[in-house]
Amino acid sequence: MFDELYDTPTESIDIRDGQLYVDASSWLDWYYIDFNTANRNAAEGGTSSAFVKQAIPTEMLDGQGSGPAMETPEETGIYTYWYDVFGAGLSHHEFRSFTPTAEQPEPSSWHIAVHRNNVRTNNGAAHETTYTSMSDLPESSKAFQDKTFTPDAWNQLDVWTIQAQMLQGLIGNQGIKVNPVLSSWLKVDLPPVPPLFTLNNHVFIVRFPDDTYAAIQLENYQSPAGTKCCLTINYKYPY
Amino acid sequence: MKHSLLFLIAICCAVVSAAQPSAPSPDSTFHLKDVVVTGTRTPKLLKDAPIQTRLITMKDIEKADATNVEDLLQQEMPGVEFSFAMNQKKHMNLCGFGGQGILFLMDGERLAGETMDDVDFTRLNMANVERIEIVKGAASALYGSNAGGGVINIITKEQTAPWTLNLNGRLARHNERRFGASYGVKGKWLQNRLDIHHSSTDNFNVSNAAEPATQVISTIFGDCTWNVKDRLTYSPTDNLRFIARAGYFYRQITRTADTPERYRDFSAGLRGLWDISKRDQLELSYSFDQYDKSDYHKISRLDVRDYSNVQNIVRGIYNHHFRSGSILTLGTDFMHDYLMNKNLGKTAESQDVLDAFVQHDWLIDKHWEMVGAARYDYFSDSKDAHFTPKLSVRYQPTNNLNLRLGYGMGFRSPALKEKYYNFDMEGIWIIKGNPDLKAELSHNLHASADYTKGNYNFTVAAYYNHVNNKLATGIPHYLPGDDKQLYLDYVNLSDYTVWGGEATALARWAGGFSARISYAFTNEQLPKDGNGRTINNQYIPARKHSLTARIDWEKQFTKHYGLLITLNGRFLSKVRNVEFIDYYDISKGTNTVHYPAYTLWKLSTIHRLGKAVKVTAALDNLLNYKPKYHYFNSPLTDGINLMVGLSVDIDKSK
Repeated sequence: MFDELYDTPTESIDIRDGQLYVDASSWLDWYYIDFNTANRNAAEGGTSSAFVKQAIPTEMLDGQGSGPAMETPEETGIYTYWYDVFGAGLSHHEFRSFTPTAEQPEPSSWHIAVHRNNVRTNNGAAHETTYTSMSDLPESSKAFQDKTFTPDAWNQLDVWTIQAQMLQGLIGNQGIKVNPVLSSWLKVDLPPVPPLFTLNNHVFIVRFPDDTYAAIQLENYQSPAGTKCCLTINYKYPY
Repeated sequence: MKHSLLFLIAICCAVVSAAQPSAPSPDSTFHLKDVVVTGTRTPKLLKDAPIQTRLITMKDIEKADATNVEDLLQQEMPGVEFSFAMNQKKHMNLCGFGGQGILFLMDGERLAGETMDDVDFTRLNMANVERIEIVKGAASALYGSNAGGGVINIITKEQTAPWTLNLNGRLARHNERRFGASYGVKGKWLQNRLDIHHSSTDNFNVSNAAEPATQVISTIFGDCTWNVKDRLTYSPTDNLRFIARAGYFYRQITRTADTPERYRDFSAGLRGLWDISKRDQLELSYSFDQYDKSDYHKISRLDVRDYSNVQNIVRGIYNHHFRSGSILTLGTDFMHDYLMNKNLGKTAESQDVLDAFVQHDWLIDKHWEMVGAARYDYFSDSKDAHFTPKLSVRYQPTNNLNLRLGYGMGFRSPALKEKYYNFDMEGIWIIKGNPDLKAELSHNLHASADYTKGNYNFTVAAYYNHVNNKLATGIPHYLPGDDKQLYLDYVNLSDYTVWGGEATALARWAGGFSARISYAFTNEQLPKDGNGRTINNQYIPARKHSLTARIDWEKQFTKHYGLLITLNGRFLSKVRNVEFIDYYDISKGTNTVHYPAYTLWKLSTIHRLGKAVKVTAALDNLLNYKPKYHYFNSPLTDGINLMVGLSVDIDKSK
């Protein structure tokens, strides 16, 4: 009874022009987005995917062992940390073990990649604007060319990949370069449990090595059914 | 801790030495002539009730300065503890029973819905409560499933004056705000009472020292509630009465800013009471209760329901009073129980429950009374049936001494959730229902004595419960051939026992002083699985020793000013729990987690200004206790809390 008080989420996702929808809720995959493909799809009214899924390697490399011996800097693999998820929070953590794995596979062409609340660029750099609407942006990226752009940086704390021992605060993270500025579009805090998600709706400008620019904004991080890390992304490329 | 106990003893001694004996009627002093209904489902004077009943009166609620059932029960009754289950869901332990083992009733009606086995306690605010009756021990012979550990019946006020209007408000730390309004009218045939209550509290953070022994809480979530109830009574003749009621409850809690959780309840009922003759009464009733949970997705503005429990209950009760004073009770209930939960295998399940019960309250002579009851329940989902007996004896050798002895069988049929659940808990494990579960069965023995002499009343009680096939989650395990996904199944555990006792002393002296001290001992043997292995106990066990105390002084200084000062306290001993070292590798074994003892005190003052206005000022957590670690069974406090309140009876303001 009282069905009318509630909403039934639609199965289909309504995407506007200049918008992408990526279900990036998997802990085990990166989703690579190519804005050229996205533009082509939009122009053709096509439904083909603008992104490519690539699994995060978690199997230990042959001939190598894992263990708690060292917090290896910038070596590809899974870094297991203990986080004080029920106490001081994520900033309080201790390294526990490292498992070397294969390099993260990537498609031949891509601009950004998303994994839950994490974002990487293809050798790009990002700047956070104060704009909260794509339509309010200046006409081109020239307005931002004198701003500070932050490149991707090594990270072995945030790309949560192995959640099998999460109840004990142990999380296996992929060691990989991510963009710290772009990744601030969705902040995840623990405690509380379940995690606290905070959306930053500012527009970000991304500069790529070919000197092209994109403007991107995270509009929503939930699916219609409420699944977290299902990303609705507004974009302008080239910008 | 020692200082706190010395503090209690010193205050008790001071009050006793200051007070002068007087001779008010013991019956009125200790409410012995108040009517209770829960123990036998028939009205009985408290002093004559054949089943030991703990009565919390409206005056007790005022003295406890309680605005919710959690504060009140913890303050009034030793052996009661509210703690957290996973994800800060409230769990109550009453002498080793809790969750689905204690039946909460509101004016005799069940409450739909549960979270981590417990009803939504925030539905039970203390505005408009006339009294609360607590019957410990198995009461399944009268109330069916879920009453294996006892019954807590919250009874709301009747409208007695031609009209009443009360407005009240209360403020405290963490932006806690409570506002209420009650409006009642009474005519020759009709009376109506409308209650509206609103409360809200902010989330707040608490600090913990380094290296806790187990999980701790760092944020305590506040909430926002609305509770609206209306009750209309129509009495066309002296021996016929119809009562219609309707209620709406809403609660929002914000753990995640973009997705607040919402809880709603819709309730309604119609009851007819017919005094067929001086010796015969018939009651027919229909009750509806729907409890929903939803998540509000702020960004997409969608309110998505993921849980709904709907109970439709039809009941008939017939009482015949014999000339000897004995009473025969016949009753039957039919309940349709519907559960929608997105974590059920089929999304929705339902079942019908049909029962019939008979009770004979036999007044043998002026000293002896015996009550025998039997009940038959049938559950359509499992096609399971239960026969549940109960026998109680009361012996009154003198007018001021009652001795009670009884045996009761309790049972709890597996809930639909426990049979059909399939819930992925944040990727940790899948909590899985078990359609083959058997009903939990308990045998309860209890004995009590109460004695009243002058200004003093003493009660001692002891009980023993033996539970077979206790329903709970078992040991996490992998399925054969899959070492990645853990499962946590609902199972029937091996035998389990809880035994203990309680002693209470009440006193009232001249000059407006009164005091109460209660002590409870609870020995809860932790359950094991069917193979005798330690399980993942969902809840921290009961504390062995607990004590509550209250000392108050009331005086009407002038026609325009009266004062009530109350000091309430409780002490809970330390407790230990056996927990897995590694939930994912139980071969590592278990360790013992020690949870500390604590004591909390509250000083409240109520200033009566004329007949209409009451101003309340209270200091909660008077000794400024701050838990070193906020474990799941630590008190929800970050220190002393000043509360102020105002209540105005508009109808008395002339």
